Amino acid sequence: MDHASVNKISCRQALALVAEYLDKELGQLERAQIEQHLELCRQCFDRFEFERLLKARLTQLQRVEPSEPLRKRVELILEQF
Amino acid sequence: MNIPTTTTMFDERTVQKTVVLPLLDDLYRVALRLTHSNVEAEELVAETVARACENITTLRDLTRAKQWLMRILTNVFLSSCRSKKRRQEIPYVEVDDDDDTASFSLFEALMQYGADEGNPERIVITKLLDEEIQSAIAALPEEYRAAVVLCDVEGYAYQEIAAILDVPVGTVRSRLSRGRSLLQKKLYHYAKEHGWTSSANLSRKGKTNNGSCQCEQD
Repeated sequence: MDHASVNKISCRQALALVAEYLDKELGQLERAQIEQHLELCRQCFDRFEFERLLKARLTQLQRVEPSEPLRKRVELILEQF
Repeated sequence: MNIPTTTTMFDERTVQKTVVLPLLDDLYRVALRLTHSNVEAEELVAETVARACENITTLRDLTRAKQWLMRILTNVFLSSCRSKKRRQEIPYVEVDDDDDTASFSLFEALMQYGADEGNPERIVITKLLDEEIQSAIAALPEEYRAAVVLCDVEGYAYQEIAAILDVPVGTVRSRLSRGRSLLQKKLYHYAKEHGWTSSANLSRKGKTNNGSCQCEQD
């Protein structure tokens, strides 16, 4: 989608869609509108980048694994059925 | 993961082991993020597995086994929160999905104390401890917490979260919005405790972005 075919959006419109953009829940047109806006607007770019980093930080919380006793307990539950 | 696609191919015991055991890590991870307690997470997983075994015949499509198990897990979690509060005679407050007051932005709050060099807002994200983030998640109302954990920690799409929580997609959006706002408020509280919002520690004040930047787009 080239820039000429994308309607410009305001900062307020872009910021209203920051979560859905980062969650990959927007259609192609809205994504293109936001990406075009971010190319032109440094402050919105900073805000989107911040929200992206925060979301990534949540995703990257330390990995945890079930304990061996829990594994054995689950196997026991499965055996009983 | 290589799992069979129909329940008719295997006996129930085979299905239980084929479906449940490979997903145990995922179940425990989500349970721990929801409960913020090893003991409670283990109880939640055990109860989920028991319920899954009892209801294994309701699983029609084995490719959706993970979503099916997550639905059982979140149901057990939310039910147990409600009964725990009833036992303790703490009124269980249902979240108001129509409440449109959530709008706190950690970015905007931290921008009040921007530094001359570097990106203090980003530094705060990297400095926050896993334990602080986990505590902030645990402080969310349960319905918001479930939506935030499924989306931001586990990476589920809105439609999948709606199916897991058995709510409309619009409700998922509003719970995520309010949950994230509360989460950011809590993280800001931690940042303040650390002194990362002090103008003595971060030298430039007054740099704001309130949605009205100077570009020609506004």
